Amino acid sequence: MHSSVRPNQFVILRLPSETTKVVQIVPNTLINCGKFGAFPANQIIGRPFYLTFEILDSPGENQSTHLRIVSAAELHAESLITEGEGDDDVEVNEEGLPLRTNREIVDDASTQKLTLEEIETLKKESTGAGRDIIAKILESHSALDQKTAFSLAKYTLRKQKKYMKRFTLLPMDVSALTNYMLESRDSTPRGMELRDEIMSLIGSWGNVHHGGDTTLQETLSKPNGRYLVIDETGGLVLAAMAERMGLLHPDDLEEEENGVPGQQPSAPDEQTEETTETQAQRKQRPAQMSAGGNTITLIHANKQANTSLLKYFGFDQNSPDESHPLFTHLKTISWLQLLDPKSDPIYTEEPPIIPDSELATLKTNRRAAYHRKRNRWSRVQSVVNEVRAGGYDGLIVATLMDPESVLQHGLPLLAGSASVVIYSPTIEPLTQIADLYSTARKTAYISRKRELEEQRHPGIANGQDGEHPELSAEFPLNPTLLLAPTLETARIRHWQVLPGRTHPMMSGRGGAEGYIFHAVRVIPTTGFIQAAGNPGRKKRKLTSARSTATPGSTSADVEMKS
Amino acid sequence: MPSPFLTPGSTSQLEHLALLHLRRDHTVPAILRLHDDENPGYKEGNVTNTRFGSFPHSTLFEQPWGSQITASKVDTGSRGRALPARHLKKRKANELDSPSGTPGDEYGDSSKPTPTKAVAASSGFLHLLCPTPELWTASLPHRTQVVYTPDYSYILHRLGVRPGSTIIEAGAGSGSFTHASARAVFNGYPTESTSPKRRRRFGKVCSFEFHAQRAGKIRDEIHEHGLDPLVQVTHRDVYQDGFLLDDPTTGTPTTSPKANAVFLDLPAPWLALKHLVRNPPSGAESPLDPSTAVHICTFSPCIEQVQRTISALRQHSWLHISMVELQHRRIEVKREKTGLEFEGVRGANIFPRNVEDAVQKMRIVEERSFRFRESLGQEDAPQSDKDNDKTTATTTTTTAGQQNTRDNSGLPTFIPTSGVENIPPYAQGRLVHRSEPDIKTHTSYLVFAALPREWSEEDERRCVEKWPSQNVSDSLQQQSKGKSKKQMKREAKEQHKAEQEGKTES
Repeated sequence: MHSSVRPNQFVILRLPSETTKVVQIVPNTLINCGKFGAFPANQIIGRPFYLTFEILDSPGENQSTHLRIVSAAELHAESLITEGEGDDDVEVNEEGLPLRTNREIVDDASTQKLTLEEIETLKKESTGAGRDIIAKILESHSALDQKTAFSLAKYTLRKQKKYMKRFTLLPMDVSALTNYMLESRDSTPRGMELRDEIMSLIGSWGNVHHGGDTTLQETLSKPNGRYLVIDETGGLVLAAMAERMGLLHPDDLEEEENGVPGQQPSAPDEQTEETTETQAQRKQRPAQMSAGGNTITLIHANKQANTSLLKYFGFDQNSPDESHPLFTHLKTISWLQLLDPKSDPIYTEEPPIIPDSELATLKTNRRAAYHRKRNRWSRVQSVVNEVRAGGYDGLIVATLMDPESVLQHGLPLLAGSASVVIYSPTIEPLTQIADLYSTARKTAYISRKRELEEQRHPGIANGQDGEHPELSAEFPLNPTLLLAPTLETARIRHWQVLPGRTHPMMSGRGGAEGYIFHAVRVIPTTGFIQAAGNPGRKKRKLTSARSTATPGSTSADVEMKS
Repeated sequence: MPSPFLTPGSTSQLEHLALLHLRRDHTVPAILRLHDDENPGYKEGNVTNTRFGSFPHSTLFEQPWGSQITASKVDTGSRGRALPARHLKKRKANELDSPSGTPGDEYGDSSKPTPTKAVAASSGFLHLLCPTPELWTASLPHRTQVVYTPDYSYILHRLGVRPGSTIIEAGAGSGSFTHASARAVFNGYPTESTSPKRRRRFGKVCSFEFHAQRAGKIRDEIHEHGLDPLVQVTHRDVYQDGFLLDDPTTGTPTTSPKANAVFLDLPAPWLALKHLVRNPPSGAESPLDPSTAVHICTFSPCIEQVQRTISALRQHSWLHISMVELQHRRIEVKREKTGLEFEGVRGANIFPRNVEDAVQKMRIVEERSFRFRESLGQEDAPQSDKDNDKTTATTTTTTAGQQNTRDNSGLPTFIPTSGVENIPPYAQGRLVHRSEPDIKTHTSYLVFAALPREWSEEDERRCVEKWPSQNVSDSLQQQSKGKSKKQMKREAKEQHKAEQEGKTES
C-alpha cells in the first residue's frame, strides 16, 4: 500500500490550476512547479500522500522555502466559502425576490482596479503562498458587493487557482496515470484514449486477479493466473493488470519488498526485521521471466516490446530491476517467436556450451557475455515453449492491429472458461468481431461442418473433429470457440456537490468513447450437437417425441445462441 | 478448501460451485454433487433441470472448464418417488466411493445401484463455466438491490483495492460486491501454518450486514464458495456499533480490521461515518489502517443522501471528495437487411435498397398493372390509340433499362441491383449497432473520498532528520536545470541508441 513517498519514486502533484504533473522524487533535488513555486524534494520524502502542501518562504533565509500542510478544515472552508451562517438559500428581500442578481453586473474588465503590472509586482513581493494577492485582488474589485454569494465564491476560487502556491501530493497508480495520459494531449495516441472506467471494466471482465503466492501455486494442479496480453498503449493495460495481480507496486508485495537497491527505507522501524529474510531470498536470484504462476505474457509486434509507461512504477524493460516483481512475472514474446520460432535466431541458435575449465580462462567481460547469451537463449526457449503450449487463463487485447487476426492466433492458446477482452477506442473494429460470432454465423458454421463430416465419412453422424480446409477458408475464426460475446461501454459523469449548488459538471472531455468486447472461451463438443427446441418441420417430430426431456422449451426458442 | 473463484484448477470438482451457462444472462449456479439428499428421485442421482434439457451432475464433474455438455435423457416422471429403504442404506455406502470413481465405472458395476449412467439426449446443451464474480453477479439469488459489474469494477478500482488490502463492506446485501472484493484482495489463502514471523499481509474482506437472515445466507454462500478464509461476515448494525471485529473468544467487538478501503452501501452512510475516524472519541481502536491512507466509497441512489454524506465527510476531515455517476450501456450488433430481395426473410425491411431499385420496382408495377388492364381490355373492347402509344413507350424504357427479365407468363420480374445470391445469409445486410433495448439510466451516485494517514509533529521531525530539508545538491540541480525538454529527449535517445548498439555488438 502507498503510505508515504519513497525516494526515487514517481508521484503526481496536483496544482491549484487543476493540472497534474508527474515528477520523480530524487533526493537532494529541487522540484519545480512553474508559477506555483519550487521546493526541495527532501521536504516531501517520507511524507504521507493525499495531503495538500503550501509552499512558504522561510523567514530570514534567502531563497529557501518550507512546506506547510494545509488542514482539511481549511480546504473545506475554502470550497464552502459561502456556506456558514445558514445561507444555503438565496438571500431574498421583503417581496421574496432574490436580493442580488446579476442584472446590474457590467460584463467588462473595468471592475478590477488593479492593473496587470500591479498584480505582477504583488506576485513578486508575496510571501503568504498567494493568499495576500487574492485578498488584494478581492479588495480592489469595485463590484464585489453586487455579486451573489455564489458568483463571489466562484470568483474567489478562480483567483485561488491562479495565485495559490500549493500542490497536492498523490501517489502514482494506474488510475492516476490513466487520467494523466488523457489530460496531457500530446501523449494521447500512446494511451489509446483509455478511460479509467473502461480500464476497470477490462480488469473485471478479464477476471484479472492475483493467482496465489508461490507456496499456494505448488499445491495446485496447474499454475494459476497466467494471462496473455497484447498491449499497444505503451504499457498502460499491462500496468493495470499488474496492479490487480499485485505485481506493480513493489511495496504491495511485502514479501518481495525492500525496494530498489541502495534506496533507504522510508519507515525504518517497519522494515528492519525483514531485511535478513529478503537478503536470503535475493541470493537465489530467480531468473528473469521465470515465474510459474501469476504471470503476464506480453505478445508484441516489434522486436522490442514497448512497455515505456512501466517506468513510472520503477520498472524499465531495457534494464530491469531484479527486485521488482515484474522482473520474474512479466514475460515477453514476439508474434514471430510465437508463430514461427524457427525463424527467430535467438530461439534457434543455441550458444555453444563452454566447459567450466575453459570458461575460467576467459576474460571477465567474455565470460559475462557468454552467461548473458546462454541466459537469453534459455529464457526465450522457455517462454516460447510455454506460450505455445497454451492453457492461459485470459486474453486481454488493446491493439492497433486487426483484432480478428489476434483472436485467430490467440484463442487456441486459452484454456476453457478463460475470458477474452478486447478494448478499442472506436466501435467499428469491435462490431466486426461481434459479427464474426453472431448466432447466424455460428449456426451456419455448425451445419457446414456437419455437411463436410458426412461427406468425408458417409454414414457417421458424429464425425471426428477433423480439419476441414474448406471450413477454415469460409470461417477464418471458429465461431463456436467464444461464448456470450458482448459489447459494452461505460462513462463517468462528474458532479459538483456544494450546498445549494449541486449539478453535473458543465464540461468534460470528448474524444473516443472507448468500447470493450468480452466473451468466454469454451470447448465445443466434438460430436454433433443440436439446440433444444429447434423449429423446422423435420425436427418438430423429434421435439414432440422428446417433449419430456425439454420441459420448458417452446418452438420459438432457437437456442443456438449462447 | 480452495475457491473455484480464485484457484479453479483445470476441471470442475465435486462439492464445488460450477456455473451452468444456458444462454446470455441466464446462468444457473450449481454445487456439483452426485447425490441430492433432499430430492432422491432420479435414477441418475442429482440432476439439474433446465429449459434446455436435464443435466445429471455425473455428466458435469471432472470436466474441463468451458466444456459444452450435452443434455441427458432423464425420466423426470419418477421425481419424488421415494426410494425403498434398502436402497437408501446402500446409497450411503456408495457415497463414500462415488467421488473417486467415474460414473462409467459405477454403471459397469451392477452391484451398485445408483447413480445410473446418463444417456445423452438428442438435443439440448449447456456450457460448464468456472465461476467469476461477473457471472455470479448475473446469476445470484437477489435479496437486495445488486451492485452490478460496471459499478463494482469502478468502485474497487478507484478505492485502490489490491491484493493484500483489507476492505470493509457494509450492507453485504446480495453479495455481488463481496465476491468482487474477495477477488480483488486475494493474494493467497491465510492458513494456520503461516508463521507469524512472515510479515506478508493477506487480503481480507470484512463484511457487515444488519439483516440477520441475509447475513446468514451470505455466510453460507461464502462457505460454499470456499471464500471463508478471505471474507468475514458479521451480523451488525454499523450505525450503532461500528466496525470493529468480534473477538472470537469473548464475542465483543474489539479487534480492528485495519482497513485500507471502505464501501458503504447503506441508506444513511453519514450515520456510519462517525465510527470511521482515526481516533474515535470513545477511546476505542480505530477500524482504519493507521499506516496508510484510507479510501471510502458510498453508494446512494438519491442526491439528498449524497449531500448529507458529503457534508459529514467534510466534517470528519475526509479529503478529495468527489461524486460521480456511472452510465453503462451494452451494445447490440446486428445485420440490418433492407432490400426488396429479402422477401420472406425474418426481421428484414422489404423496402427498396436504393433509388434505382425503387424506380425499377415501380416500372414493374406499372407494367404489370398495364398488362392487367390490357388483358381486361382484350376481353371487353378494343383499346383506343392513345393507350397503344403508351404501351410502346413503357416497353422501350424497360428494355432500355436492360434489368428486367420476364417470368413464364412474360411479365417482368424484379432483379436487385446488387447481387445478394453469392453472399451467405449471415453476411448479408449492413452491420449496425445500437444500445440494448433496456438500459439502466441510473444505478446510484458514487461518492469517493480519501483520508490521509495521520502525521504528527514527531513524524515530521524524524523525517526532517532523515532528509535534511534544505539539502539540494548543486551538481544534480544543474543537470536537470537549464535543459529544454527537447534536449533531454534527444540525449535520452542517444543514450538508448548507444545501449542498443552495445547489445547488438555483444
